[in-house]
Amino acid sequence: MAGPGNVVVPRNFRLLEELEKGEKGLGGDGSVSYGMDDSEDLLMRSWQGTILGPPNTVHDGKIYTLKLYCDQNYPDKPPAVRFYSRINMSCVAANGVVDPRHFNILGHWRRDYSMETILLELRREMAAPHNRKLSQPPEGNY
Amino acid sequence: MGSNQQAQLPRRIIKESQRLLSEPAPGIKAVPNEDNLRYFSVEIDGPGSSPYEGGKFRLELFLPEDYPMAAPKVRFLTKIYHPNIDKLGRICLDILKDKWSPALQIRTVLLSIQALLSAPNPDDPLAENVAKHWKENEAEAVREARAWTMRWAR
Repeated sequence: MAGPGNVVVPRNFRLLEELEKGEKGLGGDGSVSYGMDDSEDLLMRSWQGTILGPPNTVHDGKIYTLKLYCDQNYPDKPPAVRFYSRINMSCVAANGVVDPRHFNILGHWRRDYSMETILLELRREMAAPHNRKLSQPPEGNY
Repeated sequence: MGSNQQAQLPRRIIKESQRLLSEPAPGIKAVPNEDNLRYFSVEIDGPGSSPYEGGKFRLELFLPEDYPMAAPKVRFLTKIYHPNIDKLGRICLDILKDKWSPALQIRTVLLSIQALLSAPNPDDPLAENVAKHWKENEAEAVREARAWTMRWAR
């Protein structure tokens, strides 16, 4: 579970690393991004993520906004994730919440996963055969 | 688990931890976390004759895997009005970045942070608006810092 040498990076320093990575825009290939929602919260709980809809799908060209909430148990436990932009997708409930039972990254969480992992994996899921052609609600927010 | 972790902990870290507990620097407390001996709860008393006097400031410190080749990571957990400390408690201090040397220790880092409280440096700011306040009206900025100390650090 822990990295080599069993060094466990505590929650707050892990979130600071993620914040720095997100701020520098090192998050993958620019198809996802993330940052803190409340820049004055010393506990760094509320985050906002975006996913650029993958090409050759119904999501192409759309920008989806998500809310991620990291409680005190992060990253031992996954954050709570919900879409703010309306979307029709197999792992997303009617209220926008990403259902861990239908999304493996959350359902089988590992400590070395990050918010970037979640966003990149959700983007892949958008392009999966069972999602890529699903009819979508009119653009808007939950 | 505890003893197992202790066995894997580099000797240097064990030594530093013991000395921090047996001979603490004045006004500085640093206690390793039971579940993670690289993770310290720190308390620094605001230095006398500074706007932070009378306050107790909580910080957290983590020794990354490559310590002492890499600097410790330190952050304030108590809100503080200071030009070199941002809203998230991150600290702008050269020895935590490019001036780090393995000859430095947890103790020297904490003493340097204590010194930074006595000597804010608005010319190398991390919190831009606080630094601006400091340069434009130092007396008023100092009053604000003192008010924050009373409000958050008591």
